[in-house]
Amino acid sequence: MSTNKKYSIKHTDKETLAKWLKLMLVGRAIDNRAPNYLKQAIGWSYHAPFAGHDGIQLAIGQIFDREHDHLFPYYRDMLTTHSAGLTAEELILNGISRDTDVAGGGRHMSNHFAKPEWNIHNVSSCTGNHTLHAVGLARAMKKYKVPGVAISSQGESSVSEGYVYEAINGASTEKLPVIFVFQDNGYGISVPKADQTANRKVANNFSGFKNLEIFHCNGKDVFDSMNTMTAAKAYVAEHEHPVIVHANCVRIHSHSNSDRHDLYRDDYELNYVNEYDPLAKFRRLLLRYERFTGAELEAIEAEAKEVVKAAHKFGMNAPQPTPESIHDFVIPEPYVSDKYPEGLHNHEGEPKKLIEGLNETLKAEFRHNPDTFIWGQDVAHKEKGGIFNVTKGMQQEFGKERVFNGPIAEDFIMGTANGMSRFNDKLRIVVEGAEFADYFWPAMEQFVETSHEYWRTKGQFSPNITVRLASGGYIGGGLYHSQTIEGSLTPLPGIRVVYPSYADDAAGLLRTSIRSRGLTLFLEPKALYNSSKVLSPIPDDFEVPFGKARLRREGADLSIITYGNTTPMCVDLADKFAENGIASVEVLDLRSLSPLDTEAIMATVKKTGKVLVVHEDKVFGGFGGEVAAMINDMTFEYLDAPVKRVGSTFTPVGFNRILEAAVLPDLTRIENAATALLNY
Amino acid sequence: MTKTAIIYSYNTKKTSKIATLIQEGFNDPAIEMINAEEITEDTFLSFDHIIMGVATWFDGELPNFWDEFVPALEEMDLTGKKFALFGLGDQKGYPENFLDGVGIMGEILEEQGAALVGFTSTEGYEFESSRALRNEQFMGLAIDYENQGSMNKQRVAAWIDQLRKEFA
Repeated sequence: MSTNKKYSIKHTDKETLAKWLKLMLVGRAIDNRAPNYLKQAIGWSYHAPFAGHDGIQLAIGQIFDREHDHLFPYYRDMLTTHSAGLTAEELILNGISRDTDVAGGGRHMSNHFAKPEWNIHNVSSCTGNHTLHAVGLARAMKKYKVPGVAISSQGESSVSEGYVYEAINGASTEKLPVIFVFQDNGYGISVPKADQTANRKVANNFSGFKNLEIFHCNGKDVFDSMNTMTAAKAYVAEHEHPVIVHANCVRIHSHSNSDRHDLYRDDYELNYVNEYDPLAKFRRLLLRYERFTGAELEAIEAEAKEVVKAAHKFGMNAPQPTPESIHDFVIPEPYVSDKYPEGLHNHEGEPKKLIEGLNETLKAEFRHNPDTFIWGQDVAHKEKGGIFNVTKGMQQEFGKERVFNGPIAEDFIMGTANGMSRFNDKLRIVVEGAEFADYFWPAMEQFVETSHEYWRTKGQFSPNITVRLASGGYIGGGLYHSQTIEGSLTPLPGIRVVYPSYADDAAGLLRTSIRSRGLTLFLEPKALYNSSKVLSPIPDDFEVPFGKARLRREGADLSIITYGNTTPMCVDLADKFAENGIASVEVLDLRSLSPLDTEAIMATVKKTGKVLVVHEDKVFGGFGGEVAAMINDMTFEYLDAPVKRVGSTFTPVGFNRILEAAVLPDLTRIENAATALLNY
Repeated sequence: MTKTAIIYSYNTKKTSKIATLIQEGFNDPAIEMINAEEITEDTFLSFDHIIMGVATWFDGELPNFWDEFVPALEEMDLTGKKFALFGLGDQKGYPENFLDGVGIMGEILEEQGAALVGFTSTEGYEFESSRALRNEQFMGLAIDYENQGSMNKQRVAAWIDQLRKEFA
């Protein structure tokens, strides 16, 4: 309970009390009305009622200042967002998913209220994962030295998610202006909080965290909630570190309209949560302390009723989204290269290693754009610059504010990139998603999340992030230092995937990635970082557009389509066949997997009529399957043989070199497959 | 003449039983029973000695009927008045908030100048934390129907003996 008594039933001015009451009444009326839309088959098929959280939700919205703060509400935060400024119309447009819904035009699930234009962020249904976004955004606020707080709101059960601990750990480590609000109604759907964590008040789990203050309040009480949120905001401003506000609430209704709480709550409990209805309590206080007469309250109630009635009418007349709009806002248009439209050059400088291409391009882009940042595990500590030294020298040149280490928490690294990029569209963020691609899996939920942002917000938010991953095997690394994960990630809409093989392409694609809006997965064949086979002169300003494959060898008898670690092997084979007069082999280096250069693929198929798709990843489920299927669909009549594939065996990659060699594709396997195809 | 009241919610079951036990124990017809659900400032201030039944709700909150009276309490001068609080809790079910209501109410009353009496030993109780603790004593009488119901009469009787002296 807050000891700060700025607000009280006896002393808060009448105008403010009336404003609060009206917000609460409108919110509650819509909360009560929402299930009717489903019953009438109008929409709002997901509704998580807020009744019982009224005090804390009113307070969150009231302390939110859209000029300076950022709000990350969760799916139960209808009153929070109404109190923060969303109108009754906007709530209903979201509920019934109309095209004019300010959260994202009906693309996101109902009850996910947002208004990005006002810093009321559009967040996921993955409950609590926006804690990482709030932390990332607060990091930007701190770095750019702007006032304000990031407010993250969630239910108490979602605090069980590991990423919430990562978020709060990060906010406390970096001393960021974040208020984490836990709205505790005792249940995660039907699961009582005793099954979530040992402390009945989960906020107390964080009592050992440094740089973190924990406030408790009665979320059912308007005044205690207002006083506590006001004190929490003042505390963040004064102490410049995060706070948790744990608000005790009740859930008067079921979790949502797909839940039946009478299956697990008895009549006694249902009665007492009703008795503790915050709205009824507020009304009683207004009368008891003679702040309003019964007639005055009835007048405000009538006004609220009219507001909801008009909003309903407005919502019902609002347009539906069109089916053809689904292709809009999947991913933003990329940076366009005027000088290198095909991603080719004739530069004749000194050949450089792939790792030099990456390092020099990163530095050049950081010099070019002061709003660039990079972080990840191990990226910057004295002379160390990344596990493979790709970022060597960057912190010395650009400082700790722009180049810094992240904790060993991949989801945190990815999620705070998402959050920080929300601060301003001009920011360009590069993250080493993990020390090795093999360790990126914990970040998958944030990666998938980030792939949705642009579409889900109907283009209102573009996460401008390049995720670098040292990928693939051939280094004797075993199961957890050899994975190449494009087969799993490329099918995600909303991302670009590039996988260069040569130094110049690595540099050119990295520049394009950093300059582009949107999310790009930049896969680096780490076995080639220092390989003499992929040395290349690199123009200082080289750029490679997305979706532009490159012919590494021209030929007439067979096309090999490849990328990443296997490209130089295929080139070696083409040279060998040419030198020995065996065959003329064309090698197409895809460079980009998504978008894919379908024109270049079709052109080479039409030219040779025989295709071998080669990649390091497993044949089963590998990206080559998509290439082969596309060739069959689009150029079947040009084929003189079935499309064949070479890749890894359907096993993990063994550590022993004999095992590794048995798993990964090599020149011999490619040669055998190519020979068989040539003889077909 | 000193006026004494036992104030508790008539809507409660267990608290009502303890209030009745206390009334019977005092065996003094002058002690008035008052319903906390209907308490007014004037009624409250008309007593010199008040025995209050204060349960703990949820994870350490006052029940609504007391919570909604707090704004009135916070502007009262309770100097010279004596208060004895009894609370009901569940040591095993809610060990983190045992008797919190008594502690919350006790602090509010003291801030307004009241004197608290009827502190009791924590011996025989097992819980994790309580806002009603002061100098290793409860700031009133702790009743645990769920786990130690058989000790209620004995605890109430001892408390009445103590209050007779401390109210004197």
